[in-house]
Amino acid sequence: MSIEFYEELKAMVGEEGSRIVAVDDVCKPMIRHWCEAMQDGNPLYTDEEYARKSKYGGIIAPPTMLLTWTMPPLWPPKEQPPHPFEKFLARMDKAGFYGILITNVAQKYLRPVFPGDHINFTYKVTDVSPEKQTGLGKGHFVTTTFIFNNQKGETVGTQSLTVLKYRIGP
Amino acid sequence: MAWKSVYWENVKEGQELPTVTTDITCTRVITGAIASRDFTPVHHDRDFAKMAGVKDIFLNNATICGFVGKYLTDWTGPEGELKEISFRIQTPCFPGDTMTMTGKVAKKYTEGDQHLVNVEYTFTVPGGRNCSGTGTIALPARGH
Repeated sequence: MSIEFYEELKAMVGEEGSRIVAVDDVCKPMIRHWCEAMQDGNPLYTDEEYARKSKYGGIIAPPTMLLTWTMPPLWPPKEQPPHPFEKFLARMDKAGFYGILITNVAQKYLRPVFPGDHINFTYKVTDVSPEKQTGLGKGHFVTTTFIFNNQKGETVGTQSLTVLKYRIGP
Repeated sequence: MAWKSVYWENVKEGQELPTVTTDITCTRVITGAIASRDFTPVHHDRDFAKMAGVKDIFLNNATICGFVGKYLTDWTGPEGELKEISFRIQTPCFPGDTMTMTGKVAKKYTEGDQHLVNVEYTFTVPGGRNCSGTGTIALPARGH
């Protein structure tokens, strides 16, 4: 492993990009779409009467939908301002680590998400491992941390995502 | 319809969750990806997936998150409140796979006025382990 390269990666850790805001509010049709695909019959998500009598007072989004609200548009493709994570990945691509594979996901749910909420998030690289030998090839494990807020600036959830960025071959 | 709840007092550390199996089809892979607004071609375009080096389209991570949430709250009932999930992804889950979900209560504890359980779960497919991890759920407690 090149020590200089690893030091260069470590120096890029922690750089935060701009806040990304969802196009639309959290809404019941998208919640139902998700529940139908996941075959999740939890009445909190789709049964108005049940949800109204619950401690939430109304329908809530499945917590695991956390990322869905801010996923980039299918069409037209939206130009996002360049993000430090893309710069990080590009630097690794340049060094030959073209492969990418998600290895670990961790999500925390801090507040319920209600129809009408408007979600935004920021994310940054929070860790990079030294070079490791894996079954796919040599690579580094890169962890990014996402913080999701609602329109009031309250954090509704966080995600930690680890990817293996690897050089294909032995 | 009456919805059952698992109460914190009735849970024992080491207790197993029901084993659940589900058949994964192309439709499940694709609808999960689209419902989570993940348009990455490896989750809906078989030719693209093969060019990328995998044998077929496969479940995206958000769908695995959705399955984890469902597995845990189907066991607890709708009064179970998901607090966090964490898992390691291993083998992809392809159309034609039957996914087998197992879990067990690893820890039972309180934190402030919350009554919590940590569950360890593993989702297995014919190719191996799809994912394994933990989830924390707050449960209703009788008399509280």
